[in-house]
Amino acid sequence: MTPLTKFRAVVKREYVQRVRSRMFVIVTVGAPLMFALFTVVPILIAGIKTGGPTRVAVVDESGRMYARVRDSLTNAQASRDEDDDEEEVPKAAQGTMNQNSRARMEQMTKAAAQSYQVEEVPAGGLGLGELKAQLDERVRRDELDAYLVLPRDVLAGGETEFYTRNVSDVFTRGQVRNALVRAVRDARLDERGVGPDVMRAVNQPVRLKASKAGGGGEADRGQGFFLVFGAGFLIYLTILMYGQVVLGAVIEEKETRIAEILFSSIRPFTLMTGKLVGVSLVALTQFAIWGLAFVGLGAYLAAGGASIAIPQVPPSVYAYVVLFFLMGYFIYATLYALVGSMVTTSQEGGQLAMPIIMLLVVGFYLAFPVIRSPNSSFAVWVSLVPFFAPITMLIRIVSQEPPLWQILLSLCIGFATVAALLWLAGRVYRVGMLMYGKRATIPEMLKWVRQP
Amino acid sequence: MSEQQPTLRLEDVTKRYGEFTAVGSLSLTVRPGRIFGLLGPNGAGKTTTIRMIVGITRPDEGRLELFGRPVTPESQNRIGYLPEERGLYKRMRVADQLKFFAELKGFTGRAADGALDRWFEKVKLSDWKRKKASELSKGMQQKIQFVAAVLHDPDLLILDEPFSGLDPVNVELLKDLVLELKEAGKTIIFSTHQMEVAERICDDICLINRSRKVLSGSIREVKSGFGRNSVALRYEGGEGVLEDETLVASVERHSDDLEALLAPGADAQELLGRLLAAGARVSRFELVEPSLHDIFIEKVSGGE
Repeated sequence: MTPLTKFRAVVKREYVQRVRSRMFVIVTVGAPLMFALFTVVPILIAGIKTGGPTRVAVVDESGRMYARVRDSLTNAQASRDEDDDEEEVPKAAQGTMNQNSRARMEQMTKAAAQSYQVEEVPAGGLGLGELKAQLDERVRRDELDAYLVLPRDVLAGGETEFYTRNVSDVFTRGQVRNALVRAVRDARLDERGVGPDVMRAVNQPVRLKASKAGGGGEADRGQGFFLVFGAGFLIYLTILMYGQVVLGAVIEEKETRIAEILFSSIRPFTLMTGKLVGVSLVALTQFAIWGLAFVGLGAYLAAGGASIAIPQVPPSVYAYVVLFFLMGYFIYATLYALVGSMVTTSQEGGQLAMPIIMLLVVGFYLAFPVIRSPNSSFAVWVSLVPFFAPITMLIRIVSQEPPLWQILLSLCIGFATVAALLWLAGRVYRVGMLMYGKRATIPEMLKWVRQP
Repeated sequence: MSEQQPTLRLEDVTKRYGEFTAVGSLSLTVRPGRIFGLLGPNGAGKTTTIRMIVGITRPDEGRLELFGRPVTPESQNRIGYLPEERGLYKRMRVADQLKFFAELKGFTGRAADGALDRWFEKVKLSDWKRKKASELSKGMQQKIQFVAAVLHDPDLLILDEPFSGLDPVNVELLKDLVLELKEAGKTIIFSTHQMEVAERICDDICLINRSRKVLSGSIREVKSGFGRNSVALRYEGGEGVLEDETLVASVERHSDDLEALLAPGADAQELLGRLLAAGARVSRFELVEPSLHDIFIEKVSGGE
């Protein structure tokens, strides 16, 4: 009976018990549904427009702006697209990264785009005060939702007044303002003899194509970055989901008081490693299920005519992504295992695990200075620190590929850290088990580690 | 007996935790096929001693030999251990976890399945095989834990307070199973502070207190070596005999009889002769051995 067979028994138990559990099925099916819910529902909700088009009355004291304001309001969508001179976002990026907050904001605004029903209110010899009183009355009777008062000097910067039933509706207010800005701007240009042709020419979007210097002029559409951010996001997500599971798994034998039975058969290090690997295989299974479902969905959509872009990056980058993902996952998972070995209950473990999340977040934010200067000494050092390397080294690889020895060194340090953490956790676990119900202090733990 | 290799031998074994000495130069020998009682009050060092035997911790000093060799992973597989702190995987089926525990001892396959069925039969839990541990009562769980310790057919079985919290019926059941294992030639180390139980099943004992060995040997030797003889008496007449201080150290009177503790060196036979000579009608005269309980109390509190 070699330790390896015992190790396999632990891995098998951990895996089978977890995959068989109801929780695993619920999470595997439920998580994508929740994710879909959280991305789709806000858009749907924001898009709910109650009560049909917004009815707006316009009092045009200038006497020549009504038509423009009406067109601008009713064609809000069309004119916005024409205005759009933002940097063109790569199609692939739009596809993969629509968690991006700006894209989401835009989607929400688009969904909130509403139709307007505009009417002109002729002054009809009434004073402005009487007119407003009349319109207020119509809003109160629910014949109108809002009204605009365009002053005589609207083109010279006069203040336009907007009265609405619901002042806190920022979407409507924003759209009305934008429509007004367009109408007034066009009118001003028109006044100075600028024709529609010129206007269209001025509004032509500006395009920027970024290419790697010396790269044969081929456009890098930032796909490498999206891949790396995707990987970083995946590490983050995996640790958030499975860190707690590793923690619970390590504490399990202590809470159920099985540890002492097991330790008369198996070394703590073997048990700990077996549990870690078992949980990781569960994670892998779950991700494989999701991945296959995702690919299946993609194939289905592609068959339906949608274009799915696969990031065009060198194969070596994919290999690095996999390696650094594994390294990142195991570094953080063993940190959780270490915490698990120090405590006796899962509640305690939860509190003590907080710094791990902090470390992870810091690693994520370090990505930004590294993007800006990937070969600075700061970037080099940071990408060698095992806790930050998974994300920062990947960034360097896709931006300005660092020397191979740096990549290899980073990997070596990372995996050595995993081994060291496991060894340490096994040590603390063994001695910690011998004292139930009492959490060890740090000096005590250091003493345990040094014990034979 | 002496040419037979001892199952377990400890020689001047010491284990310290920082300043605290949990076990101090303990020597003992456990012979094969015997039930060895490791006795002592709470905190005496029993559990620490057992942990060294099963290989959870190592002695700081001294030698520890199992089956004639130092402790190795192989010798671990020949031991069955029921710790005092014990539990089960709550959400795992009983049969599955027993197989897992056996697998960690290198005991797998058909043999394991057969043994599993036999033991479920023996502890009368065959109907519960496929249940989860959390569905079992505490007593049932304890029997399952016992099975976990014996399933892989160990040569040395170590039971730490195996009967605590069990009802009398199940205590008898487990006790019979332990005796059955002894019949089959297994060696059993039995740790407890319940002297009544130890007295009934142990062949040899070792009493430890405050990390040190207080006494050891077979139950017979220990009792006779304890040097305390008392006589349970019921008689009429024969006044004055018990007042002789060279013969009787003290007298404890019960409702219709009394117990006389003989003076050191005095002979019970002489007491009987003197009583008869004094014309007493003796209806009861019985030599009373000290119970392990008495010995325990005296040795442990005597050390205070």
